[in-house]
Amino acid sequence: MTQCPECEAIVESHDMVLGEVFPCPDCGTELEVLGTDPFAVQPAPKEAEDWGE
Amino acid sequence: MKASVVGGSGYVGGELLRLLLGHPDVEVGQVTSDSMAGKSIARAHPNLRGASDRRFVPRSALEPADVTFVAVPHGEAMEEVPALLAAGGIVIDLSADHRLRNAAGYPEYYHRDHPHPELLARSVLGLPELHREALRTADLIAVPGCIATASILALRPLVTAGLIDSQRVVIDAKSGSSASGRDAGPAGQHAERSGVMRAYAPAGHRHTAEIEQETGARVALSCHAVEAVRGVLATVHGFASRPVDEKELWRTYRAAYGGEPFVRIVHEADGIHREPEPKILAGTNFCELGFAVDPHAGRIVALAALDNLMKGAAGNAVQCLNVRAGFPETRGLEFPGLHPI
Repeated sequence: MTQCPECEAIVESHDMVLGEVFPCPDCGTELEVLGTDPFAVQPAPKEAEDWGE
Repeated sequence: MKASVVGGSGYVGGELLRLLLGHPDVEVGQVTSDSMAGKSIARAHPNLRGASDRRFVPRSALEPADVTFVAVPHGEAMEEVPALLAAGGIVIDLSADHRLRNAAGYPEYYHRDHPHPELLARSVLGLPELHREALRTADLIAVPGCIATASILALRPLVTAGLIDSQRVVIDAKSGSSASGRDAGPAGQHAERSGVMRAYAPAGHRHTAEIEQETGARVALSCHAVEAVRGVLATVHGFASRPVDEKELWRTYRAAYGGEPFVRIVHEADGIHREPEPKILAGTNFCELGFAVDPHAGRIVALAALDNLMKGAAGNAVQCLNVRAGFPETRGLEFPGLHPI
């Protein structure tokens, strides 16, 4: 487990994979898995305005 | 456990009946209403059609019960409660008549002396988040007001943690029309109420006394009527005593309410329901708390939303009964609400 960098909620890995994006259970921030052992997350990059173009 | 309701024809009485009729550990006994004596409870509360064949009885016919909920107007409960306590059983008073520990608050905020001030020391304020242990043995429980409940739950952690100047707190509260009760008078007429955004108590609202008693803060409270049937939104403005960031507010509110079954901390990064909103809490016993930091003004904003008839009255009263009787605290109160509504 680790903490949400935005609200410090405890977040657990639940067998997530590197690069997986999931919402923080408390503040809803989209988090990206940076590492699985140890489990580490960071706020996921937000879509740019021209995403996909 | 047999439960009676004194003053069962009002909106709070109706919510009490809805909850108690669905409570697996409670048998609804007598329900009093002098104005509707002899009539079915569904005449006053059509949502209860088929749920019970109970009829209202006059207050003079009331017999002792294991627990008696008192849902009569302020000023009447203080005359009723001594006899109910003398008859034995638990009394849960939803009026303001036993909320204040200091009897001097009654002439100041309710314009009358309390006839039985000795009961104020015996009464326990019905807010499990603050007084759970005392509630387990209380025989007189005073359920706080709806605006007071929202304000206390939002403000108290900030004061306790020393994050704000407790002598300079502003609370702006909005409430729906059902908070005025069934007999609200001309202010509740459709022509007056529809579309309303009315400051009905810009200063001097009587819930000020409860909020100050339970938080230790000095509070400037302004109350508004808005276009809703149910709901209270209290916005608390405190001025930070030192630099505070949102992570510290998360820690503060988690420390205060992390294990509470009916308090939810809501401060989300995205979406349309990022902060507490009473609309989606209609019919539920939840109080949602949110917050924001305003570094420009050195301000901390705390938000509390609830259903005034539920966590602000009847739901909270049943939660208190659950605590007092040793039932699971959420029993009969599991409804998660409706969306959209």
